[in-house]
Amino acid sequence: MKNTFTQSMAWLHTWAGLIFGWLLFAIFVTGTLAVFDKELNHWMQAEIPATPVSQAAAAQRAIAYLQAHEPQAGNWGVSLPTERSPGLRVSTGDRRHGGGVQLDPGTGEAIAVRDSVGGNFFFRFHFTLDLPRNWGIFVVGALALVMLAALVTGIVIHKKIFKEFFTFRPNKGQRSWLDFHNASAVLLLPFHLMITYTGLVIFMLIYIPAGVDALFAGDNRAYFQAQGNSRLEQPRGLSKQPAEMVDVAPLLAQAEARLGPIAGFNIRNPNTAGARIEIRPELGNRIALSKGQAMVFDGVSGQLLSDVSEWRAAPLTQRVMVGLHFAQFGGYPMRWLYFVCGVISCVMIASGLVLFCVKRGRKYAAAEVPGHRWYRLAEVCNVGFVAGLLLACVGLLWASRLLPVELAGREAWEVRAFFGLWLLALLHAGIRPPRRAWVEQLGSAALLCIGLVAFGGLEDALRLGVAACALVLGVLLGLVAWRVQYAQPAVRNVKAGRRVEAGA
Amino acid sequence: MSRSPTWLQILSRSSAALLGGYAFSYAATACLARLLPLSPGDAVIVATLPTFIFYTLAILWAFASRDALRAWAPLAVAAPLALVGFWPQALEWLA
Repeated sequence: MKNTFTQSMAWLHTWAGLIFGWLLFAIFVTGTLAVFDKELNHWMQAEIPATPVSQAAAAQRAIAYLQAHEPQAGNWGVSLPTERSPGLRVSTGDRRHGGGVQLDPGTGEAIAVRDSVGGNFFFRFHFTLDLPRNWGIFVVGALALVMLAALVTGIVIHKKIFKEFFTFRPNKGQRSWLDFHNASAVLLLPFHLMITYTGLVIFMLIYIPAGVDALFAGDNRAYFQAQGNSRLEQPRGLSKQPAEMVDVAPLLAQAEARLGPIAGFNIRNPNTAGARIEIRPELGNRIALSKGQAMVFDGVSGQLLSDVSEWRAAPLTQRVMVGLHFAQFGGYPMRWLYFVCGVISCVMIASGLVLFCVKRGRKYAAAEVPGHRWYRLAEVCNVGFVAGLLLACVGLLWASRLLPVELAGREAWEVRAFFGLWLLALLHAGIRPPRRAWVEQLGSAALLCIGLVAFGGLEDALRLGVAACALVLGVLLGLVAWRVQYAQPAVRNVKAGRRVEAGA
Repeated sequence: MSRSPTWLQILSRSSAALLGGYAFSYAATACLARLLPLSPGDAVIVATLPTFIFYTLAILWAFASRDALRAWAPLAVAAPLALVGFWPQALEWLA
């Protein structure tokens, strides 16, 4: 677009960064929060107790409950209590369609738990923007591609990458914002590149199905069969004959010895001669994402019918890349590392957005300058999409606790609260002067974060972690708001100049 | 081309980046999957993993090239690549 290669790359970085940066910020923030999705689920459903109980005992209570209430169902699903998710949930039908009943893991009685989108909302928003799933995947994929292009153009235009890494000039207005944007980008460049690229790899065959089209004539089923992902055939005739089922506890122990911690199990055709017990590992037992893997046992004899498969080098590479994005491995230290890196990514995007306006502020600040209206739009969107989104995210947590428990369609109302708050923040940014809008929105987000502590639940380690993290983030947001309120570099420079004059 | 208005240039280059880039990375992946000496299941994965590198390069090309016509070069390159990738299908279609 411009004369030299560097100039054209800078042009692309600036404009693609501005226009897509607002949504990219939302994707990165919700992705960072989704690192702790299960902890947030637990926080948002206050009724679930955190009783320490062995998985075998919980499994037997779940089966006793299903035996009493759903003996005829074609499929029983059980999610066992784990380190990150202490609830015990049973369901009939398919696991991915949700629903089901929460049981008290200690007694096996059903407990009434409020409906809540939970931390799962952030997870879903992160890869679909809450659009219909297939549309969302493509929109987010396109945004991720822009992110990748912005990272590469950022490297190209940033010539003195090593020297400037050690440069930070605080309290210098535009200079400081640029230094901050550069430092946060360079410091975590490997993370930014890794998280963006592996995010694209998750749905790569949906985005670019060229390989399947060329080698399998576009037949996805043939492709999956070539990967050895064919399912065990269900025994038709046997599933009509009633039969006594085997005890599940020894099978859980056997599976745990082989796979590591267990997330739950399914029993297909329970109480028949064709019963099958499928035991799934937790996702975080290894780096490669083990989604869809299970050990299958005969439900009557307890015999192992099918073990988890070993992956060949190519599928393993893909699964490891996807696993690097899902961040389920390595326990809590790794989770915190991903969270902190994610926060820095968000800060990098936000500082780039702010930099765009700071750079042009002097030129377009006056209302009569041509182009002022566009500048003002960028300014309003910056406040609404950065501070406003943070406000909406913490607002969702408040909604999960404040909405009446018996409200019909409660989950939908939580989502409405999220988007309603976001919209209000955009409107608020439109009618207030920019600096006031920043301070007011960041300040209220900070107060809402700190206020989460008031909802209690502090005797439970997981909920205490959520509250403590919210407290720290709230204090940090408050500091940012305070800084925006009182930092006035332009004015201060004038004053400093006067003082020098007075002294001379 | 240099005399066309700025917004038209931006539109042309953006579509070259988005559509030309898609065609290029699609065709390059198909070609790579066909040529790699691996079993079909592995070849699909190994050929698709680098596809977003191709796409990113095509986007940069679309905005870096000297004139707006050259920005569409990846689309032109996509045709022979796709021909290699879909060679058996092409032969079948001719016969």
